[in-house]
Amino acid sequence: MMSNIVSFVKRRPKWCAAGVVCVTLAACGYVYPWITAGVVAAMVVIMAAVRFGWWKRPWAALRRRLGIAVAQPSAPAVSAEQLAAATRRPPRKQGQTVPDLVETMLAQGRYALLLRPQIVENLSENQMRITLAALQEKMALVPAGVVVMSRLDIDPDPDVWNERREAKESRKIHVEPVFLDRVAVSNFQFQEFVLGGGYEELEIWDEAVLPAMLDFVDQTGHPGPRGWLKGQPPTGLESHPVVGISWYEATAYARWCGKRLPTDAEWAKAACWPVSLGDSNWVQRRYPWGDSFETRRANVWASARQGTVPVDHYDNGLSVGGIYQMIGNVWEWMAGPYGSSADTTLSLPAPMKAIRGGAFDTYFENQATCQFQSGENPLRRKHNIGLRLALGACDLAPQAAALILEGESVTEDQLVVG
Amino acid sequence: MTRGCDLPLDSYRLAHYSVQVPCYVCDGGNTYDAELCRHCFAPMALAHQSQAHKTRPSMVAVLGTTGSGKTVYLGMLMDMLSRRTKPLQVLARGAFSVSLQQATTASLCHCQFPSKTPNEPDHWNWVHCQVRCQRMRRPFELIVPDMAGEALVQEIDHPRTYPVIRSYLTKCAGAIILIDAIRLQEGHDQDHFSMKLLTFLSELVDDPKEGWHKRPVVLVLTKADQCDGCFDDPESYARTHSAGMWNQCHEQFRATKIFAAGVAGACASRATFGGGQQRFPLRIEPRGIVEPFQWLISQIPLRKK
Repeated sequence: MMSNIVSFVKRRPKWCAAGVVCVTLAACGYVYPWITAGVVAAMVVIMAAVRFGWWKRPWAALRRRLGIAVAQPSAPAVSAEQLAAATRRPPRKQGQTVPDLVETMLAQGRYALLLRPQIVENLSENQMRITLAALQEKMALVPAGVVVMSRLDIDPDPDVWNERREAKESRKIHVEPVFLDRVAVSNFQFQEFVLGGGYEELEIWDEAVLPAMLDFVDQTGHPGPRGWLKGQPPTGLESHPVVGISWYEATAYARWCGKRLPTDAEWAKAACWPVSLGDSNWVQRRYPWGDSFETRRANVWASARQGTVPVDHYDNGLSVGGIYQMIGNVWEWMAGPYGSSADTTLSLPAPMKAIRGGAFDTYFENQATCQFQSGENPLRRKHNIGLRLALGACDLAPQAAALILEGESVTEDQLVVG
Repeated sequence: MTRGCDLPLDSYRLAHYSVQVPCYVCDGGNTYDAELCRHCFAPMALAHQSQAHKTRPSMVAVLGTTGSGKTVYLGMLMDMLSRRTKPLQVLARGAFSVSLQQATTASLCHCQFPSKTPNEPDHWNWVHCQVRCQRMRRPFELIVPDMAGEALVQEIDHPRTYPVIRSYLTKCAGAIILIDAIRLQEGHDQDHFSMKLLTFLSELVDDPKEGWHKRPVVLVLTKADQCDGCFDDPESYARTHSAGMWNQCHEQFRATKIFAAGVAGACASRATFGGGQQRFPLRIEPRGIVEPFQWLISQIPLRKK
């Protein structure tokens, strides 16, 4: 019988405790009825106060009377509705405060959206400085200027290929100041887009490609790049450039970040860094580091890597502006088409978009130069084509652009996190 | 008045001509200083090198229709293997062996495909090389010609048109058959040609012990980078688009495997003078070039010296 009682107590401990209290009160009430009634009433009041938070109000009033500062929640710099309208998405979490939303967007790499003219005025000074610091850290400024674009194709007769013909058929294009990502978009960065529901936000996708979006899935049928599994990048390749994405996916990701794909002229200027010698003469680098190719500066076929490397490798292959891997590793989607509309002899199997930069499997060094352009079907999701984003200086808010272009950098002391 | 004088006779030089030098491909007799065999037009340098190094090179054939990519595949293969040491390394024997990769890379470097291989056997490029493999202690010799696709088709349809093809294929230790994956997707002409070629090979040698049914055959789907799904599963792709070839290959040959390969990432066309269209590659990114050759080498029984 004792074992049955013990097992019952173990199964119902709260019930047993309540029963003991009731028996005790009944015994006391028999002896001391008024004392027992008072104790029961006090217990009920205490339980109600804890349940409904009645105790906080007197405590706050007491603190005010005593002159103790009460921390007031700071007024939101930007309302949640305004930011949601700007980002075309509802707030991530119900009741999430705006500072959390700004930090979330910074963590996702969407700082460019915060520097838009419609948004930046509502940011606090500290938030703006943090966002500008992120921009300066992640992107390199390509100053305005002229870039000489060589012929798009290479004459098959090597005897004809000479400097005079190249000078005759080259084009000089003026480029406005633009920011270019220092590194190509990595799997980790693109995963933010996938997890953030970028494939479901139809507003950021070209209307013409909507019927083909069902094909933009990974190997397990989840939305994502071609080589992924269950919406996740391959293990160990988080810092490698994202590949297996079409031009439309690259464009949608760029819009989601508040940026865009670079034009051929912008990319070429950032890579070859033209220097004027006066009298319309320009000197441009064949490769971002100089005119001679070296396997230790870029990841191409001759480097014998047989695959991609992390986006921040090859420090000795930096461009003058501090951009990594403009040559090698992966081809990069451009904003414009391949070929020239004036070239009536060219016949493409499908309208192609331009790609530049060469990849890890580019066999010839002369096809991994700052001027070489190739093309690919915009729907193809190849294993060696990635992307790098651009942001025009004209797209920034004037005050933000002025701070950047005037060369004012943000120091660590000016950053107050939280 | 006559004078006598001593004149040395160079008749000893004629001694070389008294002995016929057999061609390494067709075993036909040739003079010592012949550049090409007068029977099959194979280079006589192959026989001289074989005798000089006391080796018996194995022979491998790269076959396919016109435009399937034989020249590009073979030229890129030789160039890639000569620039790397792993997993295979190739060292050319004789200056003539470098001509193929030189012509191929010179064209591809300028975003242009090499010109069509002439049908005349005396204009074909032959490669004689030494192959070093990690799994083998000693390197072995290999001979691979770049044959014209039209000549091959004519030999299949009208036997004895090109004796060099028949002689060469009779002695081959293995074959790489290139199939245009794009044309395979569009129609059945590649399927039918492959079936004819496989039948031709299987009936070439009657010996049940050394016939073609025991020799390794590799099927390579070329231009696969322009076909979706070809690289992912070449077997499935071949079974889907070329069921006849796939069945025949597995029924008649003991050692066979299907690979996918590509050299040009994308292609375009340009109008030429006269109204024609000339295809050219937009970039060169070789893929799947070495693996078929590596598998074939692993299957070939090496000849003893």
